[in-house]
This record gives sequence, structure tokens and C-alpha cells, in this order.
Amino acid sequence: MSTTTARHQQTDPQAGATEGTEPPARPWTLVAGREIRVKLTDRNFLLSTLFTVGLIAAIFGIQAFFFNLSSAPEYRVAVTDPDAVAVVEQAGASMGADPFGGSTEEATVTAVQVEDEAAGRELVAAEEADVVLTREGGTWTVGADGDPPASLAGALQEAVRGQVMTDNAAAAGTTLGELMAGTEVAFVDYASADDSEGELVVFVAGLLFGMLFYVASLLFGLSIAQSVVEEKQSRIVEILTAAIPVRQLLAGKVLGNTALALGQMVLLVAVGLVGLSFTAYDAFLPMLAEPLLWYLPFFVAGFIALACIWAAAGAMASRSEDLQTTTMPLTLGLVVVYIVAQGLDGTWSVVGSYVPVMSTFLMPIRLLEGEALWWEPVLSLAVTLAFCWMTVRFGARLYRRALLQTQGRITFRQALSLGE
Amino acid sequence: MLQVDAVTRRFGDITAVDEVSFDVPDGQMVGFVGGNGAGKTTTMRMVMKLLAKDGGEVRWDGEPVTTDLCSRFGYMPEERGLYPKQPVLDQLVYLGRLHGMSAAGAQRRATELLERFGLGDRLRAKVETLSLGNQQRGQIIAAVLGHPVALILDEPFSGLDPAAVDQMSQLLREHTATGVPVLFSSHQLDLVDRLCDSIVVLHRGRVVANGTSASLRSTGPLRYRVSLGGDAGWVRGMPGLQVLDVDGSTAVVQPEDEQAAQLLLGEAVRRGPVHDFSRIVPTLSEIYREVAA
Repeated sequence: MSTTTARHQQTDPQAGATEGTEPPARPWTLVAGREIRVKLTDRNFLLSTLFTVGLIAAIFGIQAFFFNLSSAPEYRVAVTDPDAVAVVEQAGASMGADPFGGSTEEATVTAVQVEDEAAGRELVAAEEADVVLTREGGTWTVGADGDPPASLAGALQEAVRGQVMTDNAAAAGTTLGELMAGTEVAFVDYASADDSEGELVVFVAGLLFGMLFYVASLLFGLSIAQSVVEEKQSRIVEILTAAIPVRQLLAGKVLGNTALALGQMVLLVAVGLVGLSFTAYDAFLPMLAEPLLWYLPFFVAGFIALACIWAAAGAMASRSEDLQTTTMPLTLGLVVVYIVAQGLDGTWSVVGSYVPVMSTFLMPIRLLEGEALWWEPVLSLAVTLAFCWMTVRFGARLYRRALLQTQGRITFRQALSLGE
Repeated sequence: MLQVDAVTRRFGDITAVDEVSFDVPDGQMVGFVGGNGAGKTTTMRMVMKLLAKDGGEVRWDGEPVTTDLCSRFGYMPEERGLYPKQPVLDQLVYLGRLHGMSAAGAQRRATELLERFGLGDRLRAKVETLSLGNQQRGQIIAAVLGHPVALILDEPFSGLDPAAVDQMSQLLREHTATGVPVLFSSHQLDLVDRLCDSIVVLHRGRVVANGTSASLRSTGPLRYRVSLGGDAGWVRGMPGLQVLDVDGSTAVVQPEDEQAAQLLLGEAVRRGPVHDFSRIVPTLSEIYREVAA
């Protein structure tokens, strides 16, 4: 055999020295490369991705705009007394201190030194200051046109009280701390251990985790099935499988589309996180970090687990018109998983966070809620990987058997009983 | 040399290919002939390992064909298949690379072949915008691109105009000239007759005839046509031959052997002028009809 092969090459005038003599080392990389290239030059794909990115940016842009407009006021306080500057600083510190304390405001308060009260009034009249803070004898006065801004008035009052009480305490030979000891009342909300905004973030993140996976799995899954049936319909699949093993073809398709899905997901999440950092919810970013890091491997494992079945569904169709029928069990299954997962709570959500595919978004949510112990995502990911291993084998078998069948659409049952 | 040895394939109760055996010697073009459903495509798919065999073996120089070796065969499936929405050059480069060519090498060779077949200005055209004939040229180029050690082509010429057939057969001849064995199937018997070194006729999954065109045609019965100056009715009285037809001065006879034929010729010359005395060689179509009956 080798002698003849050698002769063919020596005498073939067009054969380059090394051209086409050895099969490519990793043909799946060529297949994956083609899948990615075709998708990245597909106008529809680019436009829809750009549109989604634009939509997310717009949502956060609008949020940030209103946030800056309405909830980060800047107050200017005209003062005549150097002591008043300290009061104003104290008021400013208390207003910007705790964004979770019932208010998301991060107000800034600046003191403007003026000659006397009259000069302060002029500033207020010119709308260059909001209020005038003066002290006549032992009395502090806040002057404004009409009612002063409520939060500013409250903060100033608080600051004055603190200042005066500190002085009075010192005069009485004690300290403010001693006087105030035991006067604080602690409040407990029995309805929820967490604060409501934290809950909202968990809810929205859960919805998005689920939605991102659902959409990616559906869109890229369909795209895998379509690409398979396209090859089958045009019979190029015979040329491809004659050139490289079916395994390699499937691996290239699945991994190429996984890379695309992951890339798109990371892009959307990145845009979302950047957007979030411009809003009042930026304080939640650190708490999202760990769940997001876990979301990545779950996303990839969950995606690959389904990808081979999508490919098999594509192989079972003989024309693209059949796809709707052969992919039905998958699309339906995904919808059910998504809806069921959104409705789970308590023990059931713990159970769900170990169910492959469902765990992709339930486990990151439990991490976000701080409920899951460190080994739980590890175990759940291992379960998903085991499931992935099974579906890849199952899907690859169906794919291999159905791929070269050209006599119309075949069912899952038929595909399983087919010979090779 | 490619050897197909007793290859069998069943689909359910139907035996589509039944112990089919034939050789495709190095540097030869073998025509694979048979009606629809004769088992040509199934056999070729088994040769390409696209379909599992229920029995038999395909060998390359005496060794069973491996998957790796198979990837060095050039193959063209029955229904023309390239990605419809991709530029023709792009996918030829892709297919070349799957056969182990470098990107630059595949690009160079594909461009060269496309230019040679008049597609030089359509390199970036999507396949679906090409005419069927041009799509088929692309397909044949895809088959020969990776410097194949053997070519297995299913209906490569169907739908091509005579000029394109000449171009393509020239291309195939270049490959056989370097020792590459070529197996191709066709319904066009005259074309097979003209191009092929030998012919394999398949009927209902079995090889019913196999050999060179001349040897197949010589298997037909010995028949002569006689055209005389006068009435040919007297040939009925000649010994050792069967008269198939007499029409005025012309007769068609089937002598038992060459001696009886020569006896007839001698008698004809003695009786008067002989305009024509010729051996009737059946056409390939007639042979085919006979074996596939």
C-alpha cells in the first residue's frame, strides 16, 4: 500500500510536497472555526447582538440619567459662623453615609462662607444657595425661601443637636456618649431577614440568569440544528464525513457554537455590569461576583449538555422544514424547565439547583442569596457534567445514525433503532 | 488498486447490494453502470465508509481501507452538495483544509482550478447564485482538490453540457495519468463507453457484467449483416446458421461459428455482387439491456 501511495505522490505533477498527504491534526478546530466565521459574518446575527447590547445600554442609560437627575442632589448652605461649617460638614456626612438606610440618596452638602445674614439671603434669592445657617446668641436659625428641602433640614437639625449636646455635656462634666447610652432603639423586620432591595436584586438576577441561558440555548441550539440540516440537505455532509470522522464534525459544531454563545453571554453580562455600576445599585456588584463566576461553568456545561441533542435533532430532519418537528421536544423541554425553575422555592429550589440544566440558573441564585454552602455548587456542577457526558454520548449516537439517512424525517425512536 | 470484494448491504428485508465485487486498477477509469436502485450509490457510500457494510470488504492495495485512508479519497456525492450561501472559493478552501491542505495551498489550488474552468471571476460568488453546471464544476473541483489517491464520483457528468464533459473528463484523465484509480457512476452509457477503461454493470444489487467495453460487446452472439445485389432469400437454405431477418436484398444472420459465416460469404460472392458483409457488434446499451433484463 505504501509503495503505491508514494508513487501517486511522486508522479502527481500538481501535488505539493506536503499538501493533502496527512489528515489535519485537529479537524474539529477547522469545523469550529467555520461555524464561528459564518456566524460572525451573518448580518442577522450581528444586528440582533448589537440591538440587544444597545437595549441593555439604553435601559441602564435611562436609569442612570434619572438617578443623577433626581437622587443625587447638591445642597449649598450659606454660613456666617466658622462653627457652622463644622455643622454643615456633619450634616453632609450623615446624608451621604448610608445608601441603604431607607434612602438611596448620596447628597453632597457644601458650606459657602458669607459676610452676614443679608449676604446669605441674597445668595438664596439668586438660587446660589439653598438655605442660610446662622447663630444668634445661643440660637441656630435656618432661613430659606419657603420650606427648606426636608432632608437637608432634617440633617442640619440633627447636626446642630449633636453639636450643642456635645457642648452641653462637656459643660455638665460628662460626655455625649454617656448621656445617650441606651437611648438607641433597634428595629427588626420579621417579614424579611434581608432588605427589600437585596431581594429585588436577587429576583432580577435570577430572572436574567435564567433568561440568558434560555435564550442562548434556544437560539444557538436552533442554529446548531439548522447548520446540521443545511449540511444534510445539500449533501455536503457526505463530503465532510468522508474527509473527517463524524465525531470531529460534531465536536467542531458544538464547541464552535458554545464559544459563540459564551462570547455573546459574556458581552451582554459585561454591558449589564458596566451599566449597573452607573446606577444606585452599584453597591451590589461585589455580591454578584461569586455567583457570576459560578454561572460561567454552569452555563457552558448546561449548553454543551443540550448542544449534542440539538445537533441530533438537526440530523433527524431531512429538510429545514422538518426542524420545527424534530426540535419540538427540546424547545418545549426548555420552556418547561425555565418556567418550573422560576416557580420553585424553599426545599424545591434546593432540589432544583441539583437538576442539570435547571441548576445553571438556580445554583447561582442560591449563591446570590447566600444560602448555598461552598460544596454545593461543586457537587451540582459535577452532576451537570455527568449528565453532559451522557447527553453528549446519546446525542452523538443519534447524530451519527441519522446524519446519512436521506429518506425523510426520522423520529427519536427510529434514530435509536437505526444501524450505522 | 481499489478492490471491492463481496460487499453486501441490507436495508431491512431488502438486499440493496449483494456480494458486489470488482477492481478499480491504478490509473484506470472504471464506469459504474446500472439503473435507478441498482445499488451504485449504496456501493460507493460503502467504499467511502459512509455506510456500514453487512458483509465483504473494500481493500486498497490488498489492505482493508482505513478511515484515515478514506479521507485521502476524493469523493463526490450523488446530489451536488456545497453550502449554498457561502462563496465557492471559501468552501473549497475549507474542504481542502479538511483534507489536510494548508490554507494557502488550498487557496492557491482552488483558485487555479476555478480559473481553469472559467469561474475565475466568480470566486466570491455564493454557490446558490451559480448555474447548476458551474455548481457541479465546483463539486468536481472539491473532489480532486486534496490531491486524492483515488476518486469515487457519483454521477459526476449528469447535467453537464458536452464541452463541460470534455473539460471534466480531461481533468480526470490527468489524474489517471498519475496512477490514480477513478470509479464513476453514470446513466450515460455512450459516455461511459467513450471514457472508461472498463465497465461494471450493476443490476438489482448484483454485478451482471464486468470488463472492458470491447470484451463486453464481444460477449454478444455472432451476427452478420449481408447486403447483396439481388434478393437475399436464398440464405435461408444455408447450413449452420439461423436467419433472423430478410428484407429484400438484406439479411441478418446468426451463424453457429465463424466457419459457417465464411461459407455464407463464399456463396454470396459466387452468386453475385456483395455490397456489405459485416459483423454486428452490439452497442453497450444493447448489452446493458440484455444483462439487465
